Amino acid sequence: MIARGDREAFSRFYDGFAGLAFGLIRRIVRDPAASEEVLQEVFWQIWREAARYDPRRGSPEAWVVMRAKTRAIDRLRAMRRREKTFVAPADDSLTRSTEEPAENPGVAVETRGLVRSALNALPESQRRVVELAFFEGLTQSEIAGRLGEPLGTVKTRARLGLERLKSLITREEPARP
Amino acid sequence: MNREEIAELAAGYALGALDPDDRARFDALLASGDAEATAALRNFEGAVAGIARETIQAPPPAVKAALMARIDAQGRSLEAVERTLASVRPSPSGRSAWTLVLSGAMAAGIAAIAVGWIVSTAYDRRVTQLAQETATLKQELDRQQSLIALLQDPATQLVALGGLEAAPGAKARMLWHPTAGGLLVTQGLPAAPEGKAYELWAIAGKNPPMPAGVFTVDAKGVGSLRVAPIRVEGSVDTFAVTLEPAGGTAAPTGAMYLAGKL
Repeated sequence: MIARGDREAFSRFYDGFAGLAFGLIRRIVRDPAASEEVLQEVFWQIWREAARYDPRRGSPEAWVVMRAKTRAIDRLRAMRRREKTFVAPADDSLTRSTEEPAENPGVAVETRGLVRSALNALPESQRRVVELAFFEGLTQSEIAGRLGEPLGTVKTRARLGLERLKSLITREEPARP
Repeated sequence: MNREEIAELAAGYALGALDPDDRARFDALLASGDAEATAALRNFEGAVAGIARETIQAPPPAVKAALMARIDAQGRSLEAVERTLASVRPSPSGRSAWTLVLSGAMAAGIAAIAVGWIVSTAYDRRVTQLAQETATLKQELDRQQSLIALLQDPATQLVALGGLEAAPGAKARMLWHPTAGGLLVTQGLPAAPEGKAYELWAIAGKNPPMPAGVFTVDAKGVGSLRVAPIRVEGSVDTFAVTLEPAGGTAAPTGAMYLAGKL
């Protein structure tokens, strides 16, 4: 039964997390119309599958981020399959995405600056692993293949990269009003 | 599985980059309620959410409208189905999934609120202090602006008040406007004794003096008083200052210190 309260709860949930999801989807998918479709699909899926949410497996925020990322990557792959001519090297697309702030006019500038500087503060080898996983949707063994590095090295870099990001973000956060 | 291996799985999981077999291993760890795996995942979630927060962007309102319409449409069809099924199965009850989701969101919110509270307490004190300073400055600005307005009005007159026997060296100036009131500034008055204050009187012709306000003077004998408009028959033509009980009186009772005519 879909109670009236659930609809309201979902509405608030959407308001709280849609910006987070949409920004991420835009960054991965790029195309505005396709991004809006993905966003609606993500929240439609969340609405239908709320019962499967398991707090042990992460915060609601992480849950939304992961779903948005997964759906966006799915869409990106589908678009690339359709547009065979589109063969942007991963590194080029990553560079472009970080150097085109105008693409995301609604971005919270302070936070973006914080995390961008945090991402840039990572050693190049760690940053590439994090970005290939997060924005290109590659698995760790795919990343290993792409970079020509052993799988163990990729796993370690992912861990070190996230540990460093976490410490950078945590250190900066209390200073934000 | 050692701590480092768990941390590596958690990092890959948080990035959504685990290969299927690793993912199955970590899923099993989480399902078993492994505290270390859960803690490691939570730790990396913050970093991953931080990457996502880099790109926060408000979606067009149309997306939400379409989504809610879709939900409402589904709700209507489900209700129809439920009405049909109502006779053959009991209504589902208990906490809904959304209660659970929101409680998780609120738990995250509570930690933020705790940090926010500490910061905001310090800010509150500063904000209160600034508000007081602002109020004082605003009061002063209002006073200055009303004085300027008074000075600019051609109907404003300057009245000189001279010291009488009680204080021959005292003097005062009164800026007086027939409808807007005025401003009195005094010099050379002795400090009022304990329980006493100076009171200004406005006199119109043969009418009895009207009380126009009470004031005291500072250590240098300087006093000032903003005088509200006075409603009397005829027009005020004389001002006088007497020493009265601190709260002021309805009619003069004490010695006169200053007097002046328009």
